[in-house]
Amino acid sequence: MDTTIDVAGLRKRFGRTLALDGMTFAVPPGRITGFIGPNGAGKSTTMRVVLGLDAADAGHALIGGRPYTGLRLPLTHVGALLDAAALQPSRTARNHLLWLAHSQGLGARRVDEVIALAGLQTAARRKAGGYSLGMRQRLGIAAALLGDPPVLMFDEPFNGMDPEGIVWMRGFLAALAAEGRAVLVSSHLMSELQGNADHVVIVGRGKVIADTSVADLLASVSGHSIRIRTSARDRAAAVLARAGATVAISGSDALTVSGIPSERVIALLAEGSVPVAEVTAHRASLEEAYLELTKDAVEFQSGGASGSARPAAVS
Amino acid sequence: MRESLHAEWTKLRTLASTTRLLIAAAALTVAVGAAVDAATRCPSGGCNDDPAKVSLAGIYLGQVVVAVMAVLVVSGEYSTGMIRVTLAAAPRRITVLAAKAIVLTGLILVAGAISVAGSLLAGRLILPDHGISPAHGYPAISLGDAPMLRAAFGSVLYLALIALLSLGAAAAVREAAAAIGVVLGLLYLIPIIAFTVGAPTLSRHLQQIAPMTAGLAVQATTGPSSEPIGPWAGLGVLAAWAAGALLLGGLLLRSRDA
Amino acid sequence: MTTATNTTTDSRPPADPPIAPGRDRFAYLLRAEWTKFRTVRGWIVAVFVSMVLTVLLGLFISSHSHIAPCTTGPNGGGCSYILPNGPGGEAVTDTYYFVHRALTAEGTITVRMTSLSEASENGQNPQGGPAQKQPASVPWSKAGLIITAGSDQGAAYAAVMVTGSHGARMQWNYTGDAPGLAGDVSAASPRWLRLTRAGDLVTGYDSADGANWTEIGAVTLPGLASSVQAGLFVTSPGSTTPTNQGATSASGTSSGATDATADFDHVDLTGGAPGGSWTGTSVGGGSESPYPTGSAVGYRQNADGSFAVTGSGDIAPDVTDGVGVSVLFTGLFIALIAMVVIGALFMTAEYRRGLIRATLAASPRRGWVLAAKAVVLGGVTFAAELAALAATVLIGVPLLRSSGNPVYPVTVLTEARAIVGAAALTAVFAVFALGVGSILRHGAGAVTAALTAVVLPYLLTAGIAVLPTGAAQWLMRVTPAAGFSIDQVVPAYPQVAAAYTPANGFFPLAPWAGFAVACGYAVLALGLAAYLIRRRDA
Repeated sequence: MDTTIDVAGLRKRFGRTLALDGMTFAVPPGRITGFIGPNGAGKSTTMRVVLGLDAADAGHALIGGRPYTGLRLPLTHVGALLDAAALQPSRTARNHLLWLAHSQGLGARRVDEVIALAGLQTAARRKAGGYSLGMRQRLGIAAALLGDPPVLMFDEPFNGMDPEGIVWMRGFLAALAAEGRAVLVSSHLMSELQGNADHVVIVGRGKVIADTSVADLLASVSGHSIRIRTSARDRAAAVLARAGATVAISGSDALTVSGIPSERVIALLAEGSVPVAEVTAHRASLEEAYLELTKDAVEFQSGGASGSARPAAVS
Repeated sequence: MRESLHAEWTKLRTLASTTRLLIAAAALTVAVGAAVDAATRCPSGGCNDDPAKVSLAGIYLGQVVVAVMAVLVVSGEYSTGMIRVTLAAAPRRITVLAAKAIVLTGLILVAGAISVAGSLLAGRLILPDHGISPAHGYPAISLGDAPMLRAAFGSVLYLALIALLSLGAAAAVREAAAAIGVVLGLLYLIPIIAFTVGAPTLSRHLQQIAPMTAGLAVQATTGPSSEPIGPWAGLGVLAAWAAGALLLGGLLLRSRDA
Repeated sequence: MTTATNTTTDSRPPADPPIAPGRDRFAYLLRAEWTKFRTVRGWIVAVFVSMVLTVLLGLFISSHSHIAPCTTGPNGGGCSYILPNGPGGEAVTDTYYFVHRALTAEGTITVRMTSLSEASENGQNPQGGPAQKQPASVPWSKAGLIITAGSDQGAAYAAVMVTGSHGARMQWNYTGDAPGLAGDVSAASPRWLRLTRAGDLVTGYDSADGANWTEIGAVTLPGLASSVQAGLFVTSPGSTTPTNQGATSASGTSSGATDATADFDHVDLTGGAPGGSWTGTSVGGGSESPYPTGSAVGYRQNADGSFAVTGSGDIAPDVTDGVGVSVLFTGLFIALIAMVVIGALFMTAEYRRGLIRATLAASPRRGWVLAAKAVVLGGVTFAAELAALAATVLIGVPLLRSSGNPVYPVTVLTEARAIVGAAALTAVFAVFALGVGSILRHGAGAVTAALTAVVLPYLLTAGIAVLPTGAAQWLMRVTPAAGFSIDQVVPAYPQVAAAYTPANGFFPLAPWAGFAVACGYAVLALGLAAYLIRRRDA
C-alpha cells in the first residue's frame, strides 16, 4: 500500500455551486502533505467526502484502497479533525473522548493516553463547552489519535491557536509523519505550513492546481531574481544581457536580473570589472508562489476561458 | 453494532440533561397523576372515571418530556455539529440510529416503569378517599388485576414508543425545535381535529389513527368499548407511527450529507 | 432610556448627521429584526405553508362536518335544518305543545298547575301514550302559560312556567329569564301562574295559593298584534348528561329525548276573543328538526275543565344544534405550532451560534431588541393568520351551509371579534414562545413549554375525558389556553342545559377575559425575558 488516501475525480455540486470539480490527488505515508487553497476551494468538502459524511456525485475516495464506509472500526484507519467546535458543550472532554473510544471498541486507558499526548491532562475533566478554541483544537487532535491510525487528516488545525500552540502543533505534526503516518493538513494560509509540509496539494475552485514538492514549487513558480546596485548601471546591464540574462532597470543605480544563477552573475560582473555596491538574491517565498498560483486560478475562473493546460504545467 | 451501542450509551450517560430529563419525566407523571387523583370527585359512585386513566393522567405531561429527550438525542448532535464526529466514527448510519433507539428505549422503559408504578401507587393511596373505592364498585388498584396490569405495562410501552417516534422525527427534521413541534403537532393536532369535526364516524376514525388517542386506549380498564380502538390495536397504531418515523428518519439520515 | 440617548447625542461632534430620536432608533431595530426574519427562508416557507394548511384544514372540517340536528332528511343521512332566529337575532329552538285561544289587547290568563311528570321517549308504549311517568327530572322541562306574537318559528313571546328543577320562572323572547317561586310542583304544593297583557306590556305572576300573587317580571313585546294566541304550553328538552366526551354529538338532546306532561286546572282567560275555544297545536318539531316530536304529544281536556298537556322540545336559545364560525379556526392550530416554533427559534437561534453577541453589540439596549422581535413576530403572525382566517371563513361558511350544517347567526361585530381575535391570539402565543425561548435559551425546551401550556389544557378540556370537569375548566381559566375563549361566538345560557365544552365552542371565561389571560402570560414571559437579557452575559 503506497498511498493511504487516494482521491480520484471527485465531483460534488451543492445547488448551483460546483464544490468539487474533478478533485484528484493521493497522500503517501511518512510525510506531511499540505492541502492548500483559498476559502471555498473545496478542501473541507473533500475531507468530508473522504470520511463518508458527504456523498460525491462522481469519483471515489479510498483509504488504503477501501472506501471509508467499508471500514469496520474507521478511527483505527483514519483520524480526522474537521471542526473543533463539533461537540456537545455540557460533556467533559474526557467523556467526549470516552464515547468516541467506545465506538471503536477502545477503553478508558487509550483515552487517558491521547489526553496526555494532546497535553490536556489538567483540563480533561472540565466541560468542553468552556474550552478556548485552541484547547478545542487539542481535544480534536486527541480524538483523531484515539484509534492510533496510520492516516491523519486535519482541517485548519492552526485556527485559533496561540503562537506557542502553533509551535507545538508543528512539532506534533512532524513527529506524526516521522512515525510513518500519512498526514494531510489543510490550510488557507501557505505560511502556516512553510517549513513543515514536504509536499503540497494546491487547490482552487474544486480542483487541483498544483501537486508538487515544496522545493519544486519554489523553483518552478518564479525561480529567483538578483538585485544589483551599481554606479555603472548601463555597463552592467550590457554585460549580463550578453550572457543571456533578463535584465530590468529598477532604479537610477539598480538592476533586477533573472534567468542565470547568482554565482554566474557575480563572475560575469567580476570579469567585466563592473563596480558593484551590493548584490542581493531575492528568493520567492512559498506564500508568493501560492498567491501566484491561486491568482491564476481565480483569473482562469473569472475569465471563464475553457483552457485547462496551465494548471497542469506546473506539476 | 456492539461498539455503537457502547458509544451511544456512554454518550447519553455522560450528558447531564439525560438524568435531569428522566427524573423530570417520572416526577411530572407521578405528580400530575396524584393531582388528578386528588381532584377527582365521585362521592356517590356511578361515575365514568376509570381508575387507571385517572391515576395515569400524568402521562399526558410526562410524554412531552420523553419526546424532548428523544428529540435531543439526535438534534443535540446536529445543533453542535457533533453528528459528523459520530458518523465519521461509525459510518453505518442505520446502525447508529438503531443504537440510539435501543439505548433510548432502555432508558425510557426504566423511567416509564418508575413513573407508572409511582402513579398507580399514588392512585391506590389517594383515589379511595375520593369515591373511587371498593364501596362504589371499584377494586383497589392492583397489578394483580389483569386489565390494570395491561394498562400499566401498556403505558410503559406507550412512553417508549413516543420516544421512538420522536427519535425518528428528529432524525428526519434534525432541528430540535422544529422536530419537537412536529412531534407535538402529531400528538395534539389529530385529536383536536377529531373533536372539532362534526361527523362522528370521521371523528372516530381520526381518533383511531392519532398516535396519542390510539396509543392511550391501552389505559382503559373499565369500559374499553367507549374507546375508539382496542388496547393492543391502539398501541399497534402508535408502533406503526414510530416505525414510520424511524424509517423515514433512517432513510433521510442515510441519503443526506451529514 | 431617554436620558441615555440624550447624553449620547450631546457627546457627539456637531459635524455628525443629525441623531435619530429614540423612536426612529426603534424603527431601525424593527427593520433589522424584520430583515432577520424574512431572510431565513425556512421561516417564510413555514409561514406560508401553515397559512395554506390552516385554510385547507378549515375547509376540510367545513366540508366533512355534518352537524345537522336530524337524521331523516331528504338525503338519507342528513337534513337541511334551518335554525330559527329569535327576535334578538340569535338561533333558537321553538318547539312545544300549545293549547291556545285568541287573546285581545287587554286580558289575563290564570291557571293552577298540580303536576309535572316525564316519560322517556324510548319507554313509550305502542299506543302512543306515555308509559311510565316519573316526576320531572329534566331540569329545564317547562310547563305553564305563554302569550306568543305569532305562529312563526322564533316569534316573540312571554311566558310564566314551572320548571323541572329550577322553580317557577318568567321567560321571554328566548333569552330573557327571571326566577319566581322556588321548589317543585305537586298536588300537595300546586303553583298558580298568571300572565296579564296590557297592550305591548306583558306581566307575569306566580302564587302558591291563588290569593297572594307575586310579580316575577314585566316585559314589553313591541308591536304585539291586538289579537294574539295565548294559552297552556308544555315542553321538555330531554336529558343531557354532563360529559366532556360528547363533543361530537350533533345535538346534546337527541339521545335522551323526553316528553313532559303537566296537569292544569282552574284555567281562566279574561279578554278572550268572543266565540273562541281551546285548540291544540304542536309548534315546531318534526322529523326535519332536533325534536322529532311524534304522536306522544297532545292534550286532553277533562270534563271538569282541567287539562293534561304533553309536550316535547324547548323554547330557548339553541346552543347545540348549529355550528359556530369558529369551528373553521381549527386549522389555526397548525399555524399556532409553526409560529410557536418560529417564535422560539427567533430568539434561541441567535444564542446557538453566538449571533446574539452581534445583535446586542449593534443595539446595546437589550430590552428594545426583545420588543422589536416581539413586534415583528407578532405582526407577521397576525397578518398571516388574519389573511388565512379571512379566506377560510369566506370559503368555509358557504361550504358548511351547503353540506347541511346550520351556522349560528352572529352579529358582524361578534364574527369580526372571533376572527381578528383568533389571529391576534396566535400572534400572542408566538410572542409568548419568543419570551419563553429568550428565558430558556433552548429552542426545543421553549417550543415544548409553550405548546404544552397552550394546547394541552385545551385538548384535555375539549376532547380527552381524563380530567375531572372542574379541574379541566380550571385549567381553561388559569393557563394560556384561556385565550381560546376569544373564539366563542354563542354565549352559554344558564337556562339551557348543554355540553358547554371548548370543543363545542364554549369556554369558562368571557372572550376578552380569556384573551387577557393569554396576553398576561405573553407579557409576563417577555418581561422576565427582558429582565434576564439585561442581567445575563450574552
